[in-house]
Amino acid sequence: MRRLTFRRVLWVCTLQAVVLMAAVVVALKLGAVPISVTDLVFSLGRVAIGHDSELPSQFQVIVFGLRLPRIILAIFVGAALSVAGAGFQALLRNPLADPYVLGVSSGAALGAILSLIFAPEIPLVTPAAAFAGAALTIAAVYFLGRREGQLDGSTLLLGGIVMASFLSAVIMFLMTTLPGREQRGMSFWLMGDLSTPLPEEIGWVFAVGLAVGIGAIYSTAADLNLMLGGENEAVHLGVNAKRVKLVVYVAASVLTGLAVSVSGAIGYVGLLVPHALRWLVGSDYRILIPASALGGAIAVVLADTLARTIAAPTELPVGAMTAMAGAPVFIYLLRRSMR
Amino acid sequence: MSGNAVRLNVEQASYAYSAGERQAPLFTLEATSFQARPRELVAVLGPNASGKSTLLRLIAGTLKPLSGRVELDGFHTSQLDARTRAQKIAVVQQESPILFPLRAWEYVMQGRHPYGRTFHFESEEDFAIVENALEQVGARHVAERWMDKISGGEKQRVVVARALAQQPLLLLLDEPTLHLDIGAQVELLERLRQLATRSHHTVVVVTHELNLAAAFADQVVLLHKGKCLKVGPPAEVYRRELLEQVYEAPLEVEYGREGRPRVSIRGGKEIGLGSTPAQVV
Amino acid sequence: MPPQRIVSLAPAMTETLFALGVEERVAGVTDFCDYPPAALNKSRIGGAVNPNFEQIVALQPDLVLAQALTLNRRETVDALERLGLAVYATSASTVEGVLESTRRVGELAGAGERGERLVTQLRERLGKLKQRLEGRTPRRVLFVVWHEPLISVGRETFLGDALRLAGAESVVETKQEWPRLSLEEVVRQQPDFLVFASAHEQSVEKTLAELKERPGWRDLEAMSHHRVAIVSDAINRPAPRLVEAIEQLARQLHPGAFEEKDETRDSKPPLRPLSSAAAKARNVGAGSHR
Repeated sequence: MRRLTFRRVLWVCTLQAVVLMAAVVVALKLGAVPISVTDLVFSLGRVAIGHDSELPSQFQVIVFGLRLPRIILAIFVGAALSVAGAGFQALLRNPLADPYVLGVSSGAALGAILSLIFAPEIPLVTPAAAFAGAALTIAAVYFLGRREGQLDGSTLLLGGIVMASFLSAVIMFLMTTLPGREQRGMSFWLMGDLSTPLPEEIGWVFAVGLAVGIGAIYSTAADLNLMLGGENEAVHLGVNAKRVKLVVYVAASVLTGLAVSVSGAIGYVGLLVPHALRWLVGSDYRILIPASALGGAIAVVLADTLARTIAAPTELPVGAMTAMAGAPVFIYLLRRSMR
Repeated sequence: MSGNAVRLNVEQASYAYSAGERQAPLFTLEATSFQARPRELVAVLGPNASGKSTLLRLIAGTLKPLSGRVELDGFHTSQLDARTRAQKIAVVQQESPILFPLRAWEYVMQGRHPYGRTFHFESEEDFAIVENALEQVGARHVAERWMDKISGGEKQRVVVARALAQQPLLLLLDEPTLHLDIGAQVELLERLRQLATRSHHTVVVVTHELNLAAAFADQVVLLHKGKCLKVGPPAEVYRRELLEQVYEAPLEVEYGREGRPRVSIRGGKEIGLGSTPAQVV
Repeated sequence: MPPQRIVSLAPAMTETLFALGVEERVAGVTDFCDYPPAALNKSRIGGAVNPNFEQIVALQPDLVLAQALTLNRRETVDALERLGLAVYATSASTVEGVLESTRRVGELAGAGERGERLVTQLRERLGKLKQRLEGRTPRRVLFVVWHEPLISVGRETFLGDALRLAGAESVVETKQEWPRLSLEEVVRQQPDFLVFASAHEQSVEKTLAELKERPGWRDLEAMSHHRVAIVSDAINRPAPRLVEAIEQLARQLHPGAFEEKDETRDSKPPLRPLSSAAAKARNVGAGSHR
């Protein structure tokens, strides 16, 4: 019997962290403006020892002002979406669930559009409004998804789908009233886009939310393993199903809301990363959660790097990359599961 | 509690699923009483829709009785928190859906969940208990196999092993012989009998198999349309008139070894153990 | 010391910079900056809505120009400012606003005198145009931004203002910038003229030929009598060429005001040769003063 030990979890995570570091270095190197690896390594070294004023300023701005923040955001978004996806798959007991199935992304999109229509000139408004939209949707779907006083998987799914389609209709209507330039900006947002640099405060808020959200879901990891086998069974084995469902629902939705508020709806990450990792490390959520977080980070960093380099100097939305890579993988998975 | 003090006390427990304000509640189970001690195997008998499942859930603590009480070692089962309850009561249900593939030992390991802390991983001790549980049900040899690749009988044994891994005081089984062939049925009940006798468990089996219950149970609780008709040893409960009323079929009761009754259809047709639910007996 | 490396985030800004004579100090333009043709030789920095920040930074600009109200997103401007770049964003909603922005851009780009002169000239032309159109009833027009779906332009934009200065009155009354209209409503209004803006006249003619057969469109009197004005796409850009486009439109709407020979007319050849359609319109206009 090969058991899951803390050491194994640590080992897998360390391995993934190394891969992530490599991806980050590649992402820092590649871009519309070429930067050599040696320059990069030396400059990172200089920053580390505090001599960053010696760097040519334009280099500094590009690497540390543009690429690095963008890469960090990609890491956060990838981790958030993957953990949220894994959480929803357990909550809804459905391997095809993704973080957007309960309407959170539509709520965020609506918030973003409303902020563009009533366009105050404060730049932080759009992500804040998007998150507010997400939060309201989370609350609404929660009330729709209850049965006999607690969340019920199928009721939740129905409520979420209904909410998502209603919100999409409202969004489509509002899109037609947007001024032209906002329409184009909105289409990028809907596809998933990391190309616009965001204020630093957003990064910090996201970091805190990410830690809290992943921590909360991870605390229910052992319970989730049992919930997968059926809720009644889990209750008989000592799981407080009502509490676990609530914690996972709120945490996974908040993680999704955070991700979508800053980058729009990047697709396929929340669906496929947990699946890929299940195949690699097994279904035990005590290893699946951290592995998905790191795996998602790697995936989005790579996808975003591709998005900015594949058709340089034109930037493609990162959601296009994940869709193009993700759709065939999804079809393959579907066919495998049918055999 | 030492010796043979009462472990499970069901006292006038009743339940109704729908209780509107102005209508009288529709009782799925009317006041029922019985007691079970360590080392006892109790069979809860009755045809479909007699209230067996409701009684099971009341004992398991997932339902709170409308009146009366259900106590295990002095604690109301419905008032225990899920974790403590899972350490005292193990439930084996009819359907055990498995969404993601599991090995048999992983499945049994789930029974250790009530004893784990939040961020814990399984200990050596947990593994020893799992091995032991599989040993007790005679399924040690399938430990490394995938759950969806073993036979129905083996799977059922693994499910019981998981219940044992919880180290409970009380084992509750809901129609455990449903999809098993006659050999597997007898084997399962013999094991349960042994577990009760040797390991101090109290075993409560919900079933509609009259002859299986008669052969292995110390006590029988006979239910009919939500009412508890009789409680007692099989020889006392298996009265022809009573059984005919409950099962609405011409029956005959004979006595076999050790004074245990055996039921058959009157008119000579012998129907033995291992009958399917479609036939009444 | 005037800025030496200017980056433009909008075609109108690029045009303005060239018109101010500072093209040597223009370091980068968008993929869509196509006028004047010399602009095509400048380094590209991506689209106007989604520019490539790295390329902008790599050019080390000391001034970035944006067209905030109608083209560039505020997130873009904000991000560039946070990166430490000097950004000036115009926000003109009237023609006068466009002229003022042009003057201001001239100031910032170190061509203040040239800017003043340019704007003064443009104001003179507008003044003369106003004189010519004195006393004439404005034509009721529908400015067709796109025909399918039917999108026009609102009054509170510089384009809407330009129409007014060209002696036109848009039949569209709304606060929206790019209102989508119902064809029925337009038919009910029966505008005197349809106005199209395009860099390629032939494509407009083709479109018109198709539309003529369609229900709704064919019920428009302006369509059946071919009272269609085609102006250059400069009318879409808040840049100096806007004034020429206004004049061009005015000629087609009120040909009677331009019949006498006029020495103060700009000696440069008109931007686009007048098509036969415009000539027909002129004939029709000559015969019927409303």
